[in-house]
Amino acid sequence: MTTQSAPVGAAAAAVRTRRTDPAGRTGRRRPRQVRLLFLLPAAIFLGLLSLFPLIQLLRMSVSAVTSATLNQSWDFVGFENFAEGFATGQSTEALQRTLVFVLVVTVLGMVLGLAAAIALRSRGRWSGFLLALMVFVWALPPVVNGSVWKFLLGDAGLINTLLLDSGLRDAPVPFLYDQYWALMSVAFVNSFAVIPFNALVFRAALMNIPPETFEAAALDGANRWQEVRHIMLPAVRPTTLVLLVLTLVYGFRSFDFIYVMTYGGPGTATNTLPFLGYLQAFVRYDFGLGAATSVVTVVGVLVLAVVYARSIRREEAES
Amino acid sequence: MFTTRSARQRRRALALTSIAAAGALTLAACGSSGEEAGAGSSDDGDAADGELSGTVTVWHYFSEDNQVGLMDAYAEKFESEHEGVTVENVFVPYDQMNSKLVSSAGAQTGPDVVVFNGAEAATIALGGALAPMDDYWADYADAGEFPDSVIHQIDGTTYAVQGYVNLLGLWYNAEILEEIGVEPPTTLDELEDAMAAAAEAGHDGITLSGLPQSQGEWQAYPWLSAEGFTYEEPDAGALEAGLARVRGWVENGWLSQEAVTWDQTVPFQQFTSGGVAFAENGNWQMGAAEADAGFEYGVVPLPLGDDGQVYLGGEGQGIGAFSENPDLAWEYLASTYYSPEGQVMAVEQVGSIPARADAAGDDAVSSNPLLEPFAASIEQYGANYPAPNIPPAAVADVQLTVGQAWSAVLGGQQQAGAAAQATVATLEGLLAPQ
Repeated sequence: MTTQSAPVGAAAAAVRTRRTDPAGRTGRRRPRQVRLLFLLPAAIFLGLLSLFPLIQLLRMSVSAVTSATLNQSWDFVGFENFAEGFATGQSTEALQRTLVFVLVVTVLGMVLGLAAAIALRSRGRWSGFLLALMVFVWALPPVVNGSVWKFLLGDAGLINTLLLDSGLRDAPVPFLYDQYWALMSVAFVNSFAVIPFNALVFRAALMNIPPETFEAAALDGANRWQEVRHIMLPAVRPTTLVLLVLTLVYGFRSFDFIYVMTYGGPGTATNTLPFLGYLQAFVRYDFGLGAATSVVTVVGVLVLAVVYARSIRREEAES
Repeated sequence: MFTTRSARQRRRALALTSIAAAGALTLAACGSSGEEAGAGSSDDGDAADGELSGTVTVWHYFSEDNQVGLMDAYAEKFESEHEGVTVENVFVPYDQMNSKLVSSAGAQTGPDVVVFNGAEAATIALGGALAPMDDYWADYADAGEFPDSVIHQIDGTTYAVQGYVNLLGLWYNAEILEEIGVEPPTTLDELEDAMAAAAEAGHDGITLSGLPQSQGEWQAYPWLSAEGFTYEEPDAGALEAGLARVRGWVENGWLSQEAVTWDQTVPFQQFTSGGVAFAENGNWQMGAAEADAGFEYGVVPLPLGDDGQVYLGGEGQGIGAFSENPDLAWEYLASTYYSPEGQVMAVEQVGSIPARADAAGDDAVSSNPLLEPFAASIEQYGANYPAPNIPPAAVADVQLTVGQAWSAVLGGQQQAGAAAQATVATLEGLLAPQ
């Protein structure tokens, strides 16, 4: 109790001080109220569009919900949906594929994003043009992006045509219709879509390095690789952590490219957790089962979100 | 029960449809049926013409030019017949149609008219998105022209009726067949010999869809049933034989493994671009064939032997459960999809086979040689879609399960034997006991 009374007392004193401040107006308390007022729309927005659906999702995951009962009351079934998903092996297999998928997306997205940022660090017409192009790619709707890539990776697509015409391959690469190639291909296309964003964020971090640092390194005889290794990488370390978590989350919740490019196939070869949840809820109309799969995905994303929040806080504290 | 009618009754009804269609084709020269078709009245809705006004919102999933053109023609027809009425056709992607309908029903809203995959009537009706049509149908003077097989009922309540029937046939490139010196096949062995000869001559054998969902299942079922597989008595051995046969086509280079990424539109585009001997595809592709194929082509029934079956599919048309003007919605259906004129328009623009017995005798049907093999398929192989013994709530699950197995085997993810065992084990839990 005593530990609480001190701050409370201090706050009360502060309020009293404000009230007795000759320059103070009664409106001194308004800024806080106004701030709350301004926060209200965002709070309502988040509550309606994020919190409420999340609560509904949790409710649905422990209920028996089909197309016939979706608009009625839901029967509580406990963890039956979760057990069913793992008992059939579908959730376990999808989880394994998701982890492989996330690994590929994260590694490619981070490494190529940083490489692009280093390459585009200078200010110039070409780097500006390439940056604009990357923003364009990043802003493309996934359905459009995925359709273009599906076309490019087809047997008669540009990439296979080049490989065949150059003599590098005798037969087309089965990018989207071999079980292993298909997972790697959709993961690669997901990486391709996240590279521009990562490159822009990395570039912003690189632009904060004072030019004098590079001048000093040049005087010391540092080569390009040493500049990257000893100046750029340490400078982008805090950004890397934040971006790493964001890319992991992006990979974990990826759905659109799989939907457009393979529809989870061949067979179930590209059924990751988000796509499995879609199939269960919106193709089989077992909304309870689909919600349970989605909750598993959400838990994964939430863990990463906590890591993200902590890394942001640490970075702010350090800066 | 999905319908109140027994499977035997439904088959009889289907046979009647096919006989009507086939009969109409053979009686083309007489031309007497055309008059009857024209005499069919469709103005039996609850509301009189002069009282109707407002907007009819129609949800559909058509993206092909000829199908969209038919929707536009229907809108134009209905608007010209009813002054002050507007028809608004709204495209909803196929994969989103059912979920969008069910979620709209939850919000107590939705379209006036729904044009959907007839096989999914149960899913949509159970989701509360379709209004019962019993009263309208009971008062409809022309209801007797429709066979039972195109009327979608759940627990005795009518929720939708199909204005036409769509089914699969075997399209062939006549120029390639002439080059390799073979006739259009009538047996599976002849088909495989022809594909082998086509491949030897540098052509592809066949195109079809191997997508892991309902479209894949729809295309797989004829080949699986040809080996004796049915949903009434799912047998792992028969399923394995069917899957292994088509996987063999991939391994022999007659069918591209890329088929696992194709919906039903893409393989027909591959066929019309030339260089492919055969395509397993539907009667609705006639417009696309005429527009895109730069070669002589034809159609024969899929060569499926004694046991083979071909689904009689097509779109169901129903009234939205939360339509603000169900009378107007009914009038739209009666004037377009269900009227003899509207069904003939579907024949001319899309190549669909009319559900009405009188419309099946129209000259547009009987004078079209491409429709004859489809009519013959109805008679020889026609099967209810979905199979009557599949419980309504399990239809989507069954289609996905078999579609995924089909895709997994064609794509080499699973061996035919393993896929068949796993699929039959899943189906046993989903199918109603006999």
